[in-house]
Amino acid sequence: MMDTLCVVIDLSVKHWQRSATASDQPLSLPAFLIQLVAFLNAYSAGSSDNALAVFAAFPGKSLMLYSSTDTQPQSTTVSGPNSYPPFQLLDDAVVSSIIHHLESLSDSEQEAPCPLVGALTKALCFINRLTLDHNTNTSNAEGLDPIALPDPRVLILSVSPDITSSYIPIMNSIFSAQKLKVTIDACQLSGPDSVFLQQAAHLTGGSYLYLERRDALLQHLTMTFLPSPSVRGAIAVPTQDKVDFRAACFCHKNIVDIGFVCSVCLSIFCQPVPVCSTCRTKFPMKTLQRLNASRPPAQPRPAPIGTNGVSKANGSSYGTPA
Amino acid sequence: MPSVEENPLESLENVKTHALLPFLHQQSATALSRLYTSPSSCLSIFRLLTPVERQIVMNILWLESAIPLSTMAAWVTIDGKKLYERSLETLSQLHILSQYPMKLLLNSTFKSSLRHAITGGGTTGSFGVPATKDPKHSPPTVESLDGYALERWETILHYMVSSGTGQLPTKPSTGVLYLLKESGLMSGSQNFEPQITSEGFQFLLHSPHDQLWELLLQYLHMVERRSMDLVEVISFLLMLSTMELGREYSTENLSQTQKVMLEDLRDYGLIWQRRPSSKRFSPTRLATTLTSSSEGSSLSTLAPTQATGLGNSSSNALTRSKGTGAGIGGGAAGGGAGSGNQQGFIILETNYRVYAYTDNPLQTAVLNLFVSLKYRFPNLVVGSITRESVKKALNNGISSEQIISYLLTHAHPQMRKFNPMIPVTVQDQIRLWELEKNRLKSDSGFLYTSFQSQADYEYVLNYAKELGVVLWENNAKRCFFAHEEGHGNIKSFIERRRTAGQGQ
Repeated sequence: MMDTLCVVIDLSVKHWQRSATASDQPLSLPAFLIQLVAFLNAYSAGSSDNALAVFAAFPGKSLMLYSSTDTQPQSTTVSGPNSYPPFQLLDDAVVSSIIHHLESLSDSEQEAPCPLVGALTKALCFINRLTLDHNTNTSNAEGLDPIALPDPRVLILSVSPDITSSYIPIMNSIFSAQKLKVTIDACQLSGPDSVFLQQAAHLTGGSYLYLERRDALLQHLTMTFLPSPSVRGAIAVPTQDKVDFRAACFCHKNIVDIGFVCSVCLSIFCQPVPVCSTCRTKFPMKTLQRLNASRPPAQPRPAPIGTNGVSKANGSSYGTPA
Repeated sequence: MPSVEENPLESLENVKTHALLPFLHQQSATALSRLYTSPSSCLSIFRLLTPVERQIVMNILWLESAIPLSTMAAWVTIDGKKLYERSLETLSQLHILSQYPMKLLLNSTFKSSLRHAITGGGTTGSFGVPATKDPKHSPPTVESLDGYALERWETILHYMVSSGTGQLPTKPSTGVLYLLKESGLMSGSQNFEPQITSEGFQFLLHSPHDQLWELLLQYLHMVERRSMDLVEVISFLLMLSTMELGREYSTENLSQTQKVMLEDLRDYGLIWQRRPSSKRFSPTRLATTLTSSSEGSSLSTLAPTQATGLGNSSSNALTRSKGTGAGIGGGAAGGGAGSGNQQGFIILETNYRVYAYTDNPLQTAVLNLFVSLKYRFPNLVVGSITRESVKKALNNGISSEQIISYLLTHAHPQMRKFNPMIPVTVQDQIRLWELEKNRLKSDSGFLYTSFQSQADYEYVLNYAKELGVVLWENNAKRCFFAHEEGHGNIKSFIERRRTAGQGQ
């Protein structure tokens, strides 16, 4: 049985600095990398058929750092007699390229936000490519429905808070993941809980973990994210007891408690709008006035149901981005 | 997201135990502890475990103290309980768990070795000491190693399959011959050429990975008799499985036992040496994939890459194909993708015709075990499955299921489009032919005749029927046949009745 795992690492310089200097349980990047490498090795130790790829979201760009399926050049560094050569290769590839890329960043670039969703998309593309290869290699070359890989999954290790402007791309990634039968696991290492990652994990049957004991990172990673989805049927992993289902509005990219949903295309807005910016549907003036009148100024109240605008509160529905 | 199945844990429960593990169960705790001092052995054994067992080990690998059973059991789902308990049982049989069933704690030797394997470091040198660069010779290429391994391995198989057919293929070394005889795959005495046994025929139809381990297990059994140190032998095999293909290692750090093994393993094609006295050796793909899963099996990845270095036996690399492994993403595979031929080479039609796209004499010879071959072309062998050819195979001890599974695993990609892959008529017919063989059943027993009266006969017959031992009866002739188990009872019953009759 082979597994496929893509790990997406958030390498936002700003937020790692914040995490390293946190007053309570600081976690620095080097300490994190040591434990991450042990986790990656533990995953590869499971079987030599386990496919692994590591993606990193650097400030302003996302890159693939390592992939076990690409033919590597014969290792240049001679590994000693005390380590398993593939592990050595993996560790070198991940750690040295992270160091290399972080050092080459200029001060101004360091401030740029990390496109976590870019790295996630690359991971999904990678899994899609493996699925295609898998299908051409086996019986299913022509026609027929593509066979999904057994248990592909993505693990996102994030330190930065949600970037609200990436709500739509993240939602789109979640839908592609569902289609590819990919499980998305997410771990928020520090900072506030991530609304989007919670939803991603929930919608793909994965597991979301907010790391509370940062000193026990490796143990948490091992117990929660090492078992493949099939093993989770026997040994359970932590699941969320409550999921923050809030969505970001399309107009200002704010996460909203109560939104207004276009009845035609299901776009979400934080305030009633006369014309839907996505599908150009015009709403009657009367409805707008009624919705505006009933908008709670401060405390949230159940929003009224209009003819064209349907209120959206903390519910399980989510918008279909155009 | 697991696909919708009746039992989501089915895939986990059906994981086959690796052949080496039962052998390790029989070893003593001290022997296993010695084995666990080497990180490479721990890593390899870890790989042979089932997914749930691996997860249990990983969950407690980084803990310093023992945890109560209930803590871990809280994580186990209701469906997974049986599986979980069975896994703990296996782990404690392997002495990986030391205090089970009181607490959960890894064997301290195993724990520190596996930690070393995962994080690197330590000074055990258990992953092999790489040899220094040789100024005169460049290290062997991966292709030449693959060619060497394949040639060695096929020599053994080819020798087995053609024994008794009058052909004289290249003989493997005496060490190999001895092993084949010891393992019961071939029989024969000093003066006669060894003959393949029915186990040997079954062996030929197994997947290459299974074949390799079957032979190695026999080797381990033999090692015990040769009073070599078993732990060193196993740890050397496991060390080979973690070595890197295409790299040369030094023999200097090997123990005396392990140096003796070099010669044996060279004969099996697991390692390559420039000269027998050479101070360096290279593991071949057979060795480095020992602990890979059997699907991405060793020889299947060997086959398509070898094109050079095989002068005599055959040449066209594309048509030789073995095993089932698609080997996607198989770390060691690398060259797995590309040629679809790797999948298989046999096309079987509903009219029992077999077309095998191969020029490999070994594959042809194996096919010849149960197919009557008609024509041979440079890259194609045509034959048909007939009653006679299947009966010949059945007489050799091959079962119908083995024939069908061989056809399945080596089916041509074109065949894989059909569902079911092998035509049902042919499958059923092969099974019927096997049943035909089982039409006669023999039982030993006793025939009871010459009863004085019909009453006597019926009285005894009823008694025998109550015992459930009557196999055949004939009322007209007043005789019946009963299984030998019941004879004592029937005999004493008749005697009791006779004496009672006399007493009246």
